[in-house]
Amino acid sequence: MSETAAIDAVAGATGVAPWFWPGLVLLALVAGYSVYRMAAVNGSRWVGMATAALFGVWVVVFWEILVRALDVPRVLLPAPSLVIGSLFDNAPKLWGDFVQTVGKAVLIGWALGCGLGFAVAVAIDRMPFLQRGLLPVASLTSAIPLVGVAPIAVMWFGFEWPSKAAVVVLMTFFPMLVSTLAGLQAAGKLERELMYSYAASYPRTLLALRLPAALPFIFGALKVNATLALIGAIVAEFFGSPTSGLGFRISTEAARMNMPLVWAAIVVAAVTGSLAYALLVALERRAAFWHPSVREG
Amino acid sequence: MIRSSQFTKGLLALAMAAAGFGAMAADKVTVQLKWVPQAQFAGYYMAAAKGFYKDADLDVTIKPGGPDIAPTQVIAGKQADIVVDWMPSALAAREAGVPLVNVAQVFNQSGLMLTCKKASGVASPKDFKGKTLGVWFGGNEYPFLNWMSKLGLKTDSDIKILKQGFNVDPLLQNQAACISTMIYNEYWQVVDAGVKEKDLVTFFYEKEGVATLEDGLYVLEANLKDPAFVAKMGKFLKATLKGWDAAVKDPEAAAKAVVAADTSGSASMKVQKRQMENVAKLITNAGTKKIGYLEPAAYERTVKVLLAGGSDPVIKKDPGKAAYSHAIWEAAQK
Repeated sequence: MSETAAIDAVAGATGVAPWFWPGLVLLALVAGYSVYRMAAVNGSRWVGMATAALFGVWVVVFWEILVRALDVPRVLLPAPSLVIGSLFDNAPKLWGDFVQTVGKAVLIGWALGCGLGFAVAVAIDRMPFLQRGLLPVASLTSAIPLVGVAPIAVMWFGFEWPSKAAVVVLMTFFPMLVSTLAGLQAAGKLERELMYSYAASYPRTLLALRLPAALPFIFGALKVNATLALIGAIVAEFFGSPTSGLGFRISTEAARMNMPLVWAAIVVAAVTGSLAYALLVALERRAAFWHPSVREG
Repeated sequence: MIRSSQFTKGLLALAMAAAGFGAMAADKVTVQLKWVPQAQFAGYYMAAAKGFYKDADLDVTIKPGGPDIAPTQVIAGKQADIVVDWMPSALAAREAGVPLVNVAQVFNQSGLMLTCKKASGVASPKDFKGKTLGVWFGGNEYPFLNWMSKLGLKTDSDIKILKQGFNVDPLLQNQAACISTMIYNEYWQVVDAGVKEKDLVTFFYEKEGVATLEDGLYVLEANLKDPAFVAKMGKFLKATLKGWDAAVKDPEAAAKAVVAADTSGSASMKVQKRQMENVAKLITNAGTKKIGYLEPAAYERTVKVLLAGGSDPVIKKDPGKAAYSHAIWEAAQK
């Protein structure tokens, strides 16, 4: 850093009106107080959501103010207004990216990975020899780095979405396997002995007692995997892709310094991830309604 | 608030004093490269290894780049004084609010090319229709898109574009008929992978008239107003160009300097020497007084290519003469 850069940095920090900083502190107090009052309201889930939304809105407001006032270069951090503008301007493009990445790679990869993890878990639970043989091998899949696998997947499955789905399968398989295995052990000894005294077969016990008891674990893995799948597919697209997809968009636009569009793509990914998570939570409430964590709400 | 500004002034005075004392010692310069240590940057490593920087009383830090490092972001974040970058991304950054200025153009010719397998049925650009072509994105797609629109090929129907990673596998695996390569690097990776040169067809962007300027040196516009900065960078450029001349003359020594500087241990003598010999072909002004001088005509040609990017040009308006300056190059001639 040269002296001129030092002067620039200082000049940047003092190049605002004298009332700016006191005003900002005042606004921060208003923001803090409003969120604090909102959080103090005891109410339904909606109040909780509204509190979080309010907090988020304030963060965006301060981000906008600070970026504009301090004249932060657009390539380092664009103002939220620019990001939102870019989101609307490029809506058709981003929709195409969404379909390519989420509609194809993430959904298919996630379903295959979770399904496979579940099936292998049940098989391991049934056959002890698999537990000794397959489980250690399966646990290897959790240790494979994404950046190592993605180029190999491109080599094997080509540039289109199947290679991204393959990476997603690999990433989601192990969390599902481990969670399902733990879930299958979750049914109480007393209940299992009851089933035994009814002379219930293995499949019967599995369906009537052990799988329902495992549901919270399985949903836990589904939720974690939803986020993992999204990250996996996006990063996999950095290593070669067709000319659409969220990962493609982020990597190419970042290289062109078109940061508002990069952030817009990130917003699409974040909203997608949050919605998927919310959807799975809602499903869980319906499926595992008997579970204490759900019952109290 | 007044107190704090006085406090910063005091700090600044201290910093100035320190810098004043520092002037007795060597001037610090940080240069950010575009890619990993390789002969593409031999001039800088040569200048360091041969002591040209030291002789100019400079303390130079050479920061290697990589796939996750954008030189423009590094200089915008004030983490470097000068960066090596390609003109498309530098001008795109300029339009995006990072006022970069070209102060020297080391490579006069573009090393970018498409490499195709003869077996895929490509003998001339006319044969691209219906084929899958690998393209690097991030600014490098513009010359390509420009070329395709010159050929009258629609990029969504006539050809299929792949966003290529940083390897040559798509060609080796026959996933693409042609891929983007640099004459000094990826082309030889294809050859090293066992493909015979006679089985390959190459198309140079330079020859097709759609080339854009590659490795040049860029600084922030505001710094050019500071005569001390210009003088310091003039010294830096002079030593650097001396390093380039030495590297072009002696590829062996250049490769040695690069391999010694590569901490990752991935650079090998054989590959770097060959790369240096090919890089030398792109520095047509090496050994002359003109080395490092940006020809305004070449700059204007690049701008024209970038503006003609069809529906989605890399830059929307001509940056004009403000995007380059010969001040530092002229200071380096002293």
